[in-house]
Amino acid sequence: MQQTHVPRWAERYPGLGTEPLPVDSYTSPDHYALEQEKVFKKAWLIVGRVEEVPKAGDFKIKRIAVARTSVILMRGRDGEIRAFHNVCSHRANQVVAEKGEETFGRSPAATMFCGFHGWVYNAKGELINVPQEQSFYDCFEKKSAGLTQVHTGIWNGFVFINFSVSPRETLEENMREFDAHLGAYPFHDITYQFTYAAVLDCNWKVALDGFSEIYHLSHLHARTLPGSFTEGFEAIKLLGDHRTSALYLDTAAEFTELQKISNSYAVVSLMVQKGGSMLPPTINPERKANFGFELSPVFPNTIIHCTDGIWFTHQFWPVGYNRVLWEGKYYLRKPRTNSQMWAAHHAQTITRNVWLEDAGTLESTQKGLESGAKTHLILQDEEILLRHSHHILGKYINA
Amino acid sequence: MPDTDSRLPVGFEGLEPLVSEWALDTQTQREIKRLRSTPEEIRGFYNAVMPRIRDILDEVDRFPIGELPEPHARLFALAFSLAEVAPNVELYGGDIQVTHNFDERRFDARHGDHPSPKGLAAR
Repeated sequence: MQQTHVPRWAERYPGLGTEPLPVDSYTSPDHYALEQEKVFKKAWLIVGRVEEVPKAGDFKIKRIAVARTSVILMRGRDGEIRAFHNVCSHRANQVVAEKGEETFGRSPAATMFCGFHGWVYNAKGELINVPQEQSFYDCFEKKSAGLTQVHTGIWNGFVFINFSVSPRETLEENMREFDAHLGAYPFHDITYQFTYAAVLDCNWKVALDGFSEIYHLSHLHARTLPGSFTEGFEAIKLLGDHRTSALYLDTAAEFTELQKISNSYAVVSLMVQKGGSMLPPTINPERKANFGFELSPVFPNTIIHCTDGIWFTHQFWPVGYNRVLWEGKYYLRKPRTNSQMWAAHHAQTITRNVWLEDAGTLESTQKGLESGAKTHLILQDEEILLRHSHHILGKYINA
Repeated sequence: MPDTDSRLPVGFEGLEPLVSEWALDTQTQREIKRLRSTPEEIRGFYNAVMPRIRDILDEVDRFPIGELPEPHARLFALAFSLAEVAPNVELYGGDIQVTHNFDERRFDARHGDHPSPKGLAAR
């Protein structure tokens, strides 16, 4: 085919290549086993926000199927958030009962109590009480029978964990370039939250890829977002293992009747031009009035998006080689009036519909990949974020 | 929550016939209602409420979030239902579904059972 424009991103990042991607990493159980051991048990993973466990004794339990475990995050009396496998040291029962993929709770005494035989741990994971302790043998030592701790780190209020015994890099080292770009965004100020989750029959990277390009916007979302965004990313930057990009709104987009009304009440909306008064200078640096949002994938399985007064994340948690738990979390500044709150819900309904349209492609893509009809996927220049994601994945797998 | 009282604030009596079907507290209830309606029903609801939406928002703004009297909470719930069906009427030609190849009931709104007119709990 005739090349009609310069492939600007491939030119800027020649190390990523331009060749088609093999499909095996989406369809092979063996590749998935490698990802489990070499990616999800080695990389820093976002499992929560500090606001989810605001006070001493507050906890969150998150199931992490890809690592075959659940992790309990508890804030201690010292203010520190620590992470432990939710597994009792006695006979490996779940310590704190789980109610689903994410369980939230509070222990006024900041302790964890196993419902099976009553072993009690403090928020540092130390075993502090064992019923009938005198009946255990001499080889049992309470002080070495604490919960199994998992490394934690906090970046801008995001709680990360790392399952390796000794992580190759500290979180600070791993996030250095990302931090220089997004470290000043005030996530903690924007906490009014909508959360969606769905389990989809596709490889986790099919879902991650689907949300990592905007080539699809004018086709897949033609009904819900008619002409809303300009074509192509701006400001793609590779940030170590991570990456970022920006979307701009098409100023010619026409709003529906209710959208116009909703926009007039909304404090913030993804569809309203914002300019970016509260954004750090690294985001929308030219302060263009039609800034849409920053889209920033954090390796391996999270995408953080932020704009003026709204941020949202997508996370893709593998459940198997062809199954994924997708969690979408959407946050905006707390509305102050009923009409602002209604406008926020209206804008969020539009976002939900966009996400539903996204969901519609993922399972059929997996079926296509598994059909064996194609050995490779063809990517265009605007899909370079996917290419970088696969590149970093390869780095971890070959490490 | 079977609520047989369908009174709305003074000035909004004309919308009272919509209350029993459409004054739904939670996003999940409103989504299910949309999916169980016909294109004519969502269009009829949209046409009835759309001309009053600014009046409704001005009326509920007389009270702080979470402190609406019952008739106002019902009126506000109608506004939320309008937000739920509006994209289908305005953008999808009256189609009750968002997409034809994904069953949206598989998409679990973890906030979906929270009464919207009270505001979501910030976590």
